[in-house]
Amino acid sequence: MPTLVDMDVPANSAIDLTQVPQLEALEYTGVSPRYRTLRLLVWALVQCGLTLLVVSPFILKLVFPEQEAFADMEFDFWWIPLGVQATLGLFWLTEEWLGFPRRGYAVRERDITYRSGWFSRSTVTVPYAQIQHLELVQGPVARAFGLKHLKLFTAGGSGNLRIAGLEEGEADRLRTVLDTRSLD
Amino acid sequence: MPFIEPRRQHPLGVLILAAQFIFKFAQQFWPALVVGSFGDNVVRNGLLTVGIFVAVSSAYAILYYLRFRFSVEGQVLVLEKGVLRRERLQVPFERIQTIQLYQGPLQQIFRLTGVRVDTAGSSGSELQLVAIRKDEAAELQAILRSTASTTADPGGAEGKGSAFEDEGGQDVLPGGASVERGEDPVVHAPQKELVTLGWGALLKVGLSQNHLRNAFAGLALVLYGLGNVPEQITAWMESLPAIAAPLIGVAFFLLIIPGILLFLMGGIAVSMGTAILKYFNLKSGIGAEGLHAEMGLLRRQAFEVPFARIHLTEWRSNWIRRKFDFETLEVRQAMAESATTGGLRVYLPAMEPTHRALFEAAVYPDLQTTPMLELLPVRRLRWLLWVAAATPTVLFWLVWTAPAAGLATALWLAFTGFTTAQRFGSLRLTAHEDTIVLERGWFWRRRTVLRMAQLQGVEWKRLVFLERRSIGHLVFHTAAGARRFAYVDKVQGHALRDLALNQHHARSSRA
Repeated sequence: MPTLVDMDVPANSAIDLTQVPQLEALEYTGVSPRYRTLRLLVWALVQCGLTLLVVSPFILKLVFPEQEAFADMEFDFWWIPLGVQATLGLFWLTEEWLGFPRRGYAVRERDITYRSGWFSRSTVTVPYAQIQHLELVQGPVARAFGLKHLKLFTAGGSGNLRIAGLEEGEADRLRTVLDTRSLD
Repeated sequence: MPFIEPRRQHPLGVLILAAQFIFKFAQQFWPALVVGSFGDNVVRNGLLTVGIFVAVSSAYAILYYLRFRFSVEGQVLVLEKGVLRRERLQVPFERIQTIQLYQGPLQQIFRLTGVRVDTAGSSGSELQLVAIRKDEAAELQAILRSTASTTADPGGAEGKGSAFEDEGGQDVLPGGASVERGEDPVVHAPQKELVTLGWGALLKVGLSQNHLRNAFAGLALVLYGLGNVPEQITAWMESLPAIAAPLIGVAFFLLIIPGILLFLMGGIAVSMGTAILKYFNLKSGIGAEGLHAEMGLLRRQAFEVPFARIHLTEWRSNWIRRKFDFETLEVRQAMAESATTGGLRVYLPAMEPTHRALFEAAVYPDLQTTPMLELLPVRRLRWLLWVAAATPTVLFWLVWTAPAAGLATALWLAFTGFTTAQRFGSLRLTAHEDTIVLERGWFWRRRTVLRMAQLQGVEWKRLVFLERRSIGHLVFHTAAGARRFAYVDKVQGHALRDLALNQHHARSSRA
């Protein structure tokens, strides 16, 4: 039984394994840099909200010092929730910072590949022939940034793909390409 | 042609519908039934409430029956239904995944048949006839099947007819209405016999179930049924004189082994019972274009699954089944987009090696050729598995002291070392011309077969730590769910991914 080690001799003459097009050699197109701004903005907002939540007992005590319920509060372990929040926030920021340059898609003649993630990395390839339908999504925030998200749906749903943060024009172009290619 | 005129189901279907609605409403509104029975005279109020409930459910069933009509318009199955909210469902034949005929206890009494139609976009129960005559059911099945099996599969690579429709899908008429109706290959083709279960084989199937799981299920049922008996036993024991306590202790100790035996026997009995209910008088066969199977005691079901609609097959066996030379075959079809349970499944137990050869020759002919690639996980996985399996040893050190804990740890490590080595050795991926086979498991063995042409996507996945060591996981997305082959060397994994995509495109362009 042939293994990949002695792959220079093709196992089955029907297909020359060395001639199979390689996905790894692809150049990926990144998504819009404005999407990074948007994501960092979301990160900052969520962090602000969480920090506010974590320090809310302090604030309550400061604002209503005469209230008995707040006056009796002890803050011996105040650093635990703050530490947890800071750690998770930093991890998320790292993911956004290092993960963003890895976001990108590559279009081939018969399939589309999407790469994403820094901590948990994934490269998904979906053949055009399997796309059941396409969806372009734009929420109010994405509209303000001039961005669109493209969703591809496949049968069964396990291969669904979401390419987020495309420039409006680019998203429309990509949709047209996928529409025509997948109907061939 | 029959079924052109919209028509109702068999009149006796009213009774079946009434039974179904009573059961369904009872599940939903039982608190109302309980509340309705309160008052001075519980029995009278209860009977009155139940009477009203049955009457209302039956009236609903009659309305439902009267409103429900089905017909066949060209290549589309049309259902009109709904009591409060009327619906008209149009299902193009080409979207139909499976047609399942079944006979529950009521249908068996009235000699009627239910028909369930599954599409890739529906969960199934939406498209259901509960009662038509047996010959009509067969005729309807033949008509629906006439193009469903010959035209393309929406989940398969060839299935372009249905792409880019509206999300709902079912209300859209097929663009190409000019598809000619071919001969019905599934029904008329000569069938090669697959598994047929007599009493002996049925017994073996029952014996090779997971008894432990069934025993726990049985135990839960018994405890539920016993209600307050344990409390009574406790009360009785407390009423005994103190001198009896050690005797009871001894008696309990003596009861442990019979208790375990009883527990296991209960498990085996449950296994037998479920096997008989599910697989009684199982008959299956392979036609030119599809798999046929019928089975069941109280609820008899018949399946017709065209080969093109099979998206995943899984062969499962445990140690006992292998002693019998048995495997259980699970055939999976495309699942609805929102479904979490994963597609329509047909289980065929007691598949012998000859049956498997027959089935695979028909569905995956290229499996008989030499594999093009073979993939094994990286050696690191073996150690990872062992480390994961060894974590309970921490508990030994928490519970016991040095010598006992040390001995337990050593024994446990030896045992898990052996089992993980076996498990690791069982992992293997083989790629044939159009088929990928994933094998795993040592005691419980699983062999998954999927076609490259039907892949919905291929994914290469890894955590950042694994990336540094050039290791990743291959995920195959199919219409019947995703399957993973983990811890593969990057170069080999990429070669396999490229091959799978290449073969996929080659097949779909040829179609």
